[in-house]
Amino acid sequence: MLRVTNVTKKFGELTAVNNLSFEVRQGQIFGIAGPNGAGKSTVYNLITGLYDFKGTICFKDQDISGLPPHRIARLGIARTFQIPQTFPSLTVAKSIEVGSHFGSQKGFDKDHVDQVLAFVNLAEKRDAPTGSLNLLHKKMLMIGAALATRPEILMLDEPMAGSNAKEIIQLMDLIRRINQDLGVTIILIEHFMKVLTELTQTLLILETGTKICCGDPKKVTSDPRVIECYLGDCND
Amino acid sequence: MVIEIADVIISGLINGSVYALMAVGLTLIYGVSKAFNFAYGSFYSLGGYIAFLLFGLSFINNYFLVFLLAAPILLVFGFFVEKVLVAPLRKRDDWEIKVMMITLGLALFLDNSFQVIFGSRMKSLPPFLEGGFEGGNFYLSHQDVGIFFLSIGGILLFRWFLNNTRTGMSVRAVAQNPAGAQIVGIPKEFVFAATFAISTVMVGMGGILLAQKYFITPMGGWDILVKAWVITAFGGMGSIRGGLYAAFIVGMLEAFVGWYFGMTWTLIVLFAVLLTTLAVRPQGLLGKWG
Repeated sequence: MLRVTNVTKKFGELTAVNNLSFEVRQGQIFGIAGPNGAGKSTVYNLITGLYDFKGTICFKDQDISGLPPHRIARLGIARTFQIPQTFPSLTVAKSIEVGSHFGSQKGFDKDHVDQVLAFVNLAEKRDAPTGSLNLLHKKMLMIGAALATRPEILMLDEPMAGSNAKEIIQLMDLIRRINQDLGVTIILIEHFMKVLTELTQTLLILETGTKICCGDPKKVTSDPRVIECYLGDCND
Repeated sequence: MVIEIADVIISGLINGSVYALMAVGLTLIYGVSKAFNFAYGSFYSLGGYIAFLLFGLSFINNYFLVFLLAAPILLVFGFFVEKVLVAPLRKRDDWEIKVMMITLGLALFLDNSFQVIFGSRMKSLPPFLEGGFEGGNFYLSHQDVGIFFLSIGGILLFRWFLNNTRTGMSVRAVAQNPAGAQIVGIPKEFVFAATFAISTVMVGMGGILLAQKYFITPMGGWDILVKAWVITAFGGMGSIRGGLYAAFIVGMLEAFVGWYFGMTWTLIVLFAVLLTTLAVRPQGLLGKWG
């Protein structure tokens, strides 16, 4: 469904992503992990058109390299950011309407907006200003705005960051429902290994922009190269 | 004395309303794209000259037609300027400074073009309403009342546009969070160009309204640019509500200072108020830090 081929991104002398290739299959939850500075969020910025790069990214066999972010969103790739990117003066419902108005190929659909509000458990807060929400609700809202674009792929950037155990369970449940009930393919950047091993079917590990390994999460997390580069060498 | 003060207040309200219309445009550009448009004053003159040209056409004899024709001309002009001159700079380092420089160049180009095409003599527009309200020593022209209500109408129309249209929603979203707006499908570059075009219409319309009172001159826009900048900074960079308050404060201040001390003091007092405000509250009346 999404194929990243030989992608390289440099910022001056720094190579943030180095000749990276991987493929995400339809319907799966695909995890990306790696230490800080590994290039995980940069990969999201490349896929969503925020940065230019060398290489090719194809979505459903269409080359989307070089397309602007709003066109990629309209093709069916939505994302969230680690720090919730909301519209502080808009209400919760209006924020989700923005996604429906601009990101959905079917155009604005009020019923769909209401369904999304209920799906992310924000129906009761529909008239609240976005700026008044707590962190969990802001994350839910950002996911809701992304879902309002009717995506085929949803890319979540560290959704669990800053959440407590109870909130992590809520977010994991939401991610599962998005994948299973809505049939949306998910790419998930996360630091919590437990979340990744429980949710994902494939896990990609990056270090300094380079692929270390990619495959079944349980095998990947027990790979000595991953333990050394990501989890840290216990003998140190 | 009471009638004199009433005159001053009315004058402040009328000027404040037109300043509000124009300052909102400048605030809009800054709030959405973080670019400062130095050609803004020249767009004010452009509005006046377009109206002057339109009145020269035999089939145009009223302001309704002038507004109807001038608005799309200004809209297309603003959109074209943003796309051709401003947008390509955004991909470069220090683009904000480069935008200031190129719009400064555009202002000088436009002002000199006005001088060559129309000459340096003042041009006037016919009053769009004759007569006035009289009572004793009190006189209020219908033209001033009309200017006030048209300016307020323009601001209310703009507010309606922001809150009730699809493009307005995209403008608000980009102003609040450009990255978040892009990834839900909003074409940021189009929104930048659209806001530039809308602000060009607003200041151009202001130019047409005030040209009836203060004439049109090739360099007349600089005074407006300075006042719009003072209002924008005073109200808080990027804050539309702050700009509105500041516009009426500046309009009133100008009227009272002009009445009490003489017109030569108005700009000095305006800058003194601006400097004091920025020293005490650098973010302006309703601006935010950062």
